Amino acid sequence: MNRLVTTLNSHRFLLLLVLLLFLFIVPFVMKESWVSLVNEMLVMALAGCALNLMLGYTGMISFGPAGLYAVGAYTTAILLTRYRFPFAIAVISAPVLAGIIGGLIGWFCVRRSAVYFALLTLAFAQIIWTIIFEWYGFTGGDNGIVSIPIPEFFFTISHCYYLTLTVVGISLLLLWTIVQSPFGKTLQAIRENPGRTEFIAIHLRRYQLSAFVLSSAFLGIAGSLFCIFSGSVFPDYAHWVKSTDMLVICLLGGFYNFGGPIVGSAVYIFLSKIISKETMFWMFFLGVIIVFLVLFMRNGIVGFLSEKLAPALHGTSRPSSDEEAQ
Amino acid sequence: MILETQKLAKSFGGLTAVHDVNLHIQEGELVSIIGPNGAGKTTLFNLLTGHISVDSGRVIFKEKDITQLPPHAISRMGIGRSFQRLNIFPRLSAFENIQVAVFSQQRKSRNIFARASKLARHETEAILESVGLLDKKNVTGGLLAHGDQKRLEMGIALAVEPSLLLLDEPTQGMSPKESGELTQLIQKLVRERGLTLIFVEHDMNVVFGISDSIIVLHQGKILFEGKPDKVRKNEEVQRVYLGDERGTWSSLLRK
Repeated sequence: MNRLVTTLNSHRFLLLLVLLLFLFIVPFVMKESWVSLVNEMLVMALAGCALNLMLGYTGMISFGPAGLYAVGAYTTAILLTRYRFPFAIAVISAPVLAGIIGGLIGWFCVRRSAVYFALLTLAFAQIIWTIIFEWYGFTGGDNGIVSIPIPEFFFTISHCYYLTLTVVGISLLLLWTIVQSPFGKTLQAIRENPGRTEFIAIHLRRYQLSAFVLSSAFLGIAGSLFCIFSGSVFPDYAHWVKSTDMLVICLLGGFYNFGGPIVGSAVYIFLSKIISKETMFWMFFLGVIIVFLVLFMRNGIVGFLSEKLAPALHGTSRPSSDEEAQ
Repeated sequence: MILETQKLAKSFGGLTAVHDVNLHIQEGELVSIIGPNGAGKTTLFNLLTGHISVDSGRVIFKEKDITQLPPHAISRMGIGRSFQRLNIFPRLSAFENIQVAVFSQQRKSRNIFARASKLARHETEAILESVGLLDKKNVTGGLLAHGDQKRLEMGIALAVEPSLLLLDEPTQGMSPKESGELTQLIQKLVRERGLTLIFVEHDMNVVFGISDSIIVLHQGKILFEGKPDKVRKNEEVQRVYLGDERGTWSSLLRK
């Protein structure tokens, strides 16, 4: 077992390459329904990683990521449908607008911490949902917007899939760069001890707000991608249930790892498909999964694996959140 | 004069925690603040670093009024501090704990595209070495021994290159041996870096061992200030400390 782990670790790049290769050939070897499932995994992996920039890296628990995801989706949808914008601009506008709205929301939210912060994010997401749901003339209300005029090229499911794969790939690379940067380290310090960072001359709120805006922009990209793939948008995208999906994805994969939400997304989307096909009680199983995770695997799948495997790899153990000091 | 306060005051509800305190700290001085529990020592620190807002009075640092500034701005001007309760970044490694502070000092914290692990290594390791933690740089902060965590916290404070350092009970919870080592380290760092140091301390051996001058705080007011010898002989100070359960005071008086 240990040897296997060492091998896996030393061949990280090889693993990544294999994964990429696999993702690349998905449209050739899978049925369309499975391609769209993998597509959804990719989009939710990006959404999860975007949320995790706040959640796992900065320690800001947001209950409202879906609001900004929906802003991205509706931006692309409305610009294409109502204003006939060029496709590229409609897509690029999504993260920009999501970032701006994220900035406005974040400006209020970072004034509070912990539970109050979480509740504010939830409240703002519900406001976004309500606006989308009620504003029939602009957003289509509960009918959503269907038959969005995406370029014909993307009518082919594999073309659309490659668009998702490329954009998600680049976005994740950017997020990875961010969390490895001095800025990313500073965010982690804020997560660990926000009060202390102020005494090393860090303007705490400004950094929290920056994380909020960045996270929102990437959520916007995810929303836009899903809008393009499905060719339609619905108020559900902004609903708190969607936020819960994203939170569970982070929790399931483990939010102290960059790869956590990616693994989480794959497992979660797969499970939800399998279970909801067999039974109507998907939500029941979801509940069971959450209880299990919180009680027994607080650092998620990736965290669990690396905690068990880290001692084997490095000869030292990292503290789990249970035994963390002060 | 590096730090001056004019009639600094703070009360919580009806309780006056700090009452018209006038400090005059010269550059390069090593000043300790002593006083019974609840004398207002930590509150005074919190006022100086902007942690809590000032009711009245002024704080002047390097001839600039810093009374209303937020903590990050005060820290940027060159006042570093450590805390009574441990204040590190527990899940980051010792190296990262210091590195984050070095980034801030070098104004690199906003750099979003560089790879952190390749930056500021030299500076970070220099600080780790000066607080004696270089060999433990990869240990997760929260897993270090208590004394090492205190050192790490001091390293974080030093990394922002303060000219004035405030240490709140640096030797709290340490064994006499650890405490002695840390005291030596503090003295060394202050001398090497030309720091001005103000520290709150209960261990009278440390206080009388290294201070240039001592400020005795009692019920939020300065009761007495002066050289260690004078403080030792002062009757008023003796009276205040008579009930001291540690008995350290009386033992020192007998010396």
